[in-house]
Amino acid sequence: MDWAQLWEIVSLPDNIPIVFLLVLLPFFLWYGLRQAFANDRLISRLEVDSELAKKHHRKIEPFREGWDLKVYVWPYLLRIEFLAAVIVTFVLMVWSITLNAPLEEPANPNLTMNPSKAPWYFLGLQEMLVYFDPWIAGVVMPTLIIMGLIAIPYTDKNPLGNGYYTFKQRKFAILAFSSGFVLLWCVFIVIGTFIRGPGWMWFWPGETWDHHRLVFETNQDFHEILGLTSQPWISLVGGMAVGLYFLVSGWICHRFLVWNDFTQRIYSQMTLTQYLIFQLFMTTMISLPVKMVLRLLFRIKYVMVTPWFNI
Amino acid sequence: MPDDPISEESKKRGKISSVIVRIKNGIWPFIEKGKEDLKAAQNYKKTQVWKSVFRHKLDDTPRTRSLAVLTNVFLHLHPAKINRDSVRFNFTWGMGGISFYLFFVLTITGIFLMFYYHPTKGQAFADIMYLENDVPFGGLLRNMHRWAAHAMILTVWLHMLRVFLTGSYKTPREFNWTIGVILLVLTMLLSFTGYLLPDDQLGFWAVTVGTSMARATPLLGHEGPFGPELGMTAFNDVRFALLGGSIVDANALLRAYIWHCIAIPLILSALLAVHFWRVRKDGSISGPSPVVLESEMKKKYKV
Amino acid sequence: MPKKIVKEKNKAEKWKIRRRNFTYACVFSFLGANLLMTLRFFFPRTLFEPKTSFTIGSPGDFGFGIDTRFQQKYRIWVVRNASRLFVIYARCTHLGCTPDWVQSENKFKCPCHGSGYDNEGVNFEGPAPRPMDRAKLSLNPQGQIVVDVSQLYQCSPGAPCNFDNSEAYLTV
Repeated sequence: MDWAQLWEIVSLPDNIPIVFLLVLLPFFLWYGLRQAFANDRLISRLEVDSELAKKHHRKIEPFREGWDLKVYVWPYLLRIEFLAAVIVTFVLMVWSITLNAPLEEPANPNLTMNPSKAPWYFLGLQEMLVYFDPWIAGVVMPTLIIMGLIAIPYTDKNPLGNGYYTFKQRKFAILAFSSGFVLLWCVFIVIGTFIRGPGWMWFWPGETWDHHRLVFETNQDFHEILGLTSQPWISLVGGMAVGLYFLVSGWICHRFLVWNDFTQRIYSQMTLTQYLIFQLFMTTMISLPVKMVLRLLFRIKYVMVTPWFNI
Repeated sequence: MPDDPISEESKKRGKISSVIVRIKNGIWPFIEKGKEDLKAAQNYKKTQVWKSVFRHKLDDTPRTRSLAVLTNVFLHLHPAKINRDSVRFNFTWGMGGISFYLFFVLTITGIFLMFYYHPTKGQAFADIMYLENDVPFGGLLRNMHRWAAHAMILTVWLHMLRVFLTGSYKTPREFNWTIGVILLVLTMLLSFTGYLLPDDQLGFWAVTVGTSMARATPLLGHEGPFGPELGMTAFNDVRFALLGGSIVDANALLRAYIWHCIAIPLILSALLAVHFWRVRKDGSISGPSPVVLESEMKKKYKV
Repeated sequence: MPKKIVKEKNKAEKWKIRRRNFTYACVFSFLGANLLMTLRFFFPRTLFEPKTSFTIGSPGDFGFGIDTRFQQKYRIWVVRNASRLFVIYARCTHLGCTPDWVQSENKFKCPCHGSGYDNEGVNFEGPAPRPMDRAKLSLNPQGQIVVDVSQLYQCSPGAPCNFDNSEAYLTV
């Protein structure tokens, strides 16, 4: 267990934001879900007791008869905003006084550092480059991520949970978003920061970063496993494999939509366009872990090979 | 008699004392006025200067509390009153406001950094060294700028997480979520363009990798699917447009500088204005709002 | 109200005011410190500007009259007459432009506002308030003339004239 190596990685000034991410993200997830579960308990109580449901103020925050529903922004909101500004300034100044921003040697086009990493917020994309070609990992995926995020409000037909934390009433949404944001995006950043070393090779925490470690990885393409050697059969088989993937994953996503009564009620209100958009983004999102598994377990590099692009 | 020596003396004395009296009479009004001014200075809140700047009183009444927010150009983004529970940290985590505050800090520190930075190859790196070693508080300023940038990305992500968990993208706030996503992309682009400016190995290779992706864009990149078929070469594809050339060199540095300092901040500010406007128009902070039961969903949601 | 409650209310008020004053003091001293730091930020500790001290050859290189060979490089004219050799710093004493040596009229003429100086740099026409300044001169061990334009000698009408300062000329 090479603690020195571990400390070297963790204490690198540019990696400090990831350390913060590792702390803040679980904290806020917990903080939000704690309120969600509290709300869920309240909802369960109100569902059984209809009399209470009529009288209750319907929030987990305290409320008494005679209290104002609204409070003045001055002073109540502004003082807490001021306090937040003070705390942020303090943290920022302490951080700036203790840690220096990195500055490496002057730019040298003829010498690349090893490892050569993107800024931490793009490490998620850089990790994807292992499994997909640059045009997918660098252009198509980011575009789909952005478009997918924008599509969320327009495909989420669930009217509940509008303005309060809940898990019970929005299970699918919260699980899907968390798996996309926390599991895929943030975990990839952590991998890119702490696990990926020289040559983008995999080093477990505590392993020394050895620039000369040999890698015995031979990958095959899907069509090679099947023994095909000539176009257009290669492209056709590849296309069929991709098509089969979308069918299977599409079916799985559909099962989630008709899981129970509640989800079916929401599904019934979805238009065809919303359904198709939902399927497109969900299946594409799942294709990433699937491709990772194919690569890591089965050593398959390309599923589909055409003269113009490879997937 | 006019030449009577006794009366002359007394006349002289009379003259002197009458002159003294006349002087006193002349000065006294000014002294009075001076005393008035002193009193006014003690009640400075009643002076014309004060009242012209601050247009309402500062006593603690509901009226003043409302006016303090509504008539203040810096604060009038806020409503006069809000949901009592939105004030608490629990619901919003304050992440949106903290992101905005960090943007403000970044703008100020960025402007100060611009006083010592030339966006030319060779000079840029030397300027960073100069800033850190020869400029008083230069190192502190650069650090603040860099760490605030990283912190802002974190807070923007946490803000997105919070908005999602509270469902605050649902009707009527869908469009505001869209604006938010665009702001997220712009924030990350701001960080990325800034990364190149020190012209060190870290920035140079990060941008090389980043713009190489542009090379691989379908249809628009000279190494992307169908790109070469459409006549894309290294000298006219989208990567060329980004870099101002086929290599990451002086033109790329200048372009990154302009995107980073002028273009993207302006676009971001405009969209921020829309974002804040929509928050107010869509009904202020979304919650916490009263929970709705499944049984209370509208009829159309019946299977 | 009973005395005890009144006393406690007053105490609470006092502490409120103390806390408020403390907060204001902290905020304003923070802002004040930042203002001072910002002001200090605008004065770097080192500068990279051209050298002010340089050699221009030996006295024997210069004939009588005005020599303009270093005007472009160092912004000086070398003047030699029967008794002295001195160096004029080519800056018009009106507002700082670089005058031209007009050989045909035997004068320096500033193109900006028309100040005119004779062939020793003494003003006689135009808005210039005083003659052009002269640079500090010395000889190095190799016999080369060392000019230092960071030390200039003035000859203002109301003040003692420094042109006769021993370092403002060389006797040749």
